[in-house]
Amino acid sequence: MKQYYDFKIEKIKGLSPEEIHLRKKNLELFYQIGFPNKNDEDWKFSDLNSILSKNFNNIANNNFLPKEKNIKIIEEFEHNYISLFDGKIVSKDFSYEEKNKVLIDNFNYKDEPIFDNKNSLFILNNALSTGGFSLEISKNYKLKKPLIIYNNFSTLLKETIVNYKNLIILNENSELNLINYINNSSRENFMVNTVENIKMKKNSSLNNILINNSKCNGYFYKYIKCDLEKNSSLENYLISSGLKFNKLDIEINLNEEYSKSSVFSALNLMNNEHQEIKTRINHNAPHCHSYQKVKNVLNNESKGIYQGKIFVKNIAQKTDAYQLSRALLLKDTAEFDAKPELEIYADDVKCSHGSTSGSIDLNSVHYLKSRGIPENEAYQMLVNGFLSEILEKLPKGKLKNFLIEKLESQINGH
Amino acid sequence: MLNIKNLEATIDNKHILKGLNLDINPGEVHAIMGPNGSGKSTLANVLSGKPGYETKGKIKYNGESLVELSTEERAQKGIFLAFQYPLEIPGVNTNIFLKTSLNSVRKAKGEQELDTLTFLKLIKEKASELGIDEKFLSRQLNVGFSGGEKKKNEILQMKLLQPKLSILDETDSGLDIDALRIVADGVNSYKNKENAFLIITHYQRLLDYIKPDFVHVLSNGKIVKTGNAELGVQLEKTGYSNIV
Repeated sequence: MKQYYDFKIEKIKGLSPEEIHLRKKNLELFYQIGFPNKNDEDWKFSDLNSILSKNFNNIANNNFLPKEKNIKIIEEFEHNYISLFDGKIVSKDFSYEEKNKVLIDNFNYKDEPIFDNKNSLFILNNALSTGGFSLEISKNYKLKKPLIIYNNFSTLLKETIVNYKNLIILNENSELNLINYINNSSRENFMVNTVENIKMKKNSSLNNILINNSKCNGYFYKYIKCDLEKNSSLENYLISSGLKFNKLDIEINLNEEYSKSSVFSALNLMNNEHQEIKTRINHNAPHCHSYQKVKNVLNNESKGIYQGKIFVKNIAQKTDAYQLSRALLLKDTAEFDAKPELEIYADDVKCSHGSTSGSIDLNSVHYLKSRGIPENEAYQMLVNGFLSEILEKLPKGKLKNFLIEKLESQINGH
Repeated sequence: MLNIKNLEATIDNKHILKGLNLDINPGEVHAIMGPNGSGKSTLANVLSGKPGYETKGKIKYNGESLVELSTEERAQKGIFLAFQYPLEIPGVNTNIFLKTSLNSVRKAKGEQELDTLTFLKLIKEKASELGIDEKFLSRQLNVGFSGGEKKKNEILQMKLLQPKLSILDETDSGLDIDALRIVADGVNSYKNKENAFLIITHYQRLLDYIKPDFVHVLSNGKIVKTGNAELGVQLEKTGYSNIV
């Protein structure tokens, strides 16, 4: 296989000699392993090395500052925002909130420890990462409005990889609705490799929504590590149809009693889009609750993957864990792979999983058509009916309406 | 309006309709009765354009060959089938379904599509005529509806879309007397000189409420006897065995 990448630490400015040394070590390690391929159990359904080598001539880390700064602000609901271009903060607005309750800064590479992980994308991120943000919500503070992170990718991004790290801390009793919004203007192929760490203190609550605005030739990998303290609550929503490649790799550690988490996803994959959701839910304490529901609709030659693992430690009695994946395959050429895994070391737990895949019900299509509805609209209605259930749990309001509309526009091909 | 000549239909190598002839003119109500397995529902399915059937013979609808038209085109041109078993469609809101349906038909006719407010006003009115609780309209289509509610919903759709030819496939099955009366009233109030009905049923009881102009007996894929409303009454007494 041809060498299709060329990464240089020298392109990153302002590093101390220690940092340069550490990053070079990571980069050397990456070059030994390369991008993950199907021989790696975690990547057996997504051979990233093969996918990238087919779609890139030469991926490089170009560390230029984006010229674009302007973004189209979502008008459907009032919100705070942070705007990132190619991973770097360019603007922010928290005017709806009280002062000094929300701390936002560039990610601090000097003080934050880096995770040790065998995953080569992680190692690459350690070597090349620049930009990203750290966000901290003060104790007892509940944000009045949702926060949108505009993840903009500029027109300069051709054959480029963007690496960054984010840190999100919710202190005790704090609350946040967070929307990660992928807003892309590059028509070219590029890659984004993000590592995010979410720390949730006692009684905190976070809705973490990942959504994209339009079709995009980006290849995305995001690793999220979440640590939950007592009675905290994390809900993740993934509505990211239209990306060429996307893998969300999420590790949720329910470290203290009564913490709970969920993962919901609604994806409508077209053409040869490829999306994988990989979860690892670690029940490390008793009385915790986890819920996962993953729904995929697959068209043409698209591929969807769900690898969901629930791990229950021996002390985690009274665990309640559930996972379900359902897929609708609209074409014989589409593919869906599910690999559910349960690893349980406690004896008083409630754990269940299920996975179904099938095709659309033609009698339902006929019923809708018999009412004058054209075939393509009938399919869209059925697909929308199938996927929109994922958003049911969100509280009624403008944010939910916005997400319902976005999902619908994704189903209609943006 | 509808002219069927020598219609044959086959599904999964089963020859079901074997040369059926039927003419329906505007303003007429036709009833088709017949024993189980005689081909009644197949006729309804073929007319609605359900895939899977191989057909021979001719079906003309207002001079146009029906088999050339897709299911949605038939509906847009005024053919309506009230299903024997209306489908439950999870995740699809009844109101949104009804609005999409009405606007698809209006669009095809070159009429202006209705905005949400105008539509809601209209559907509220039509629903109350049939004694349908508004709450049903905001629920998922037919999901968890009782048999009677599903059938009423079919009649609601008929009244909303205002078809020229309405085919009612065993709409009376699963209905109690009150629901039967409401459904029949719904049909009677819609009946006029311009439109026609084809009512498929096992029993006379629906025909006590909706008076047919013609009653046909379907047996083994063919119409074997045609008469007036009196024939239905007679069949109720003697059964099919004397005729077929």
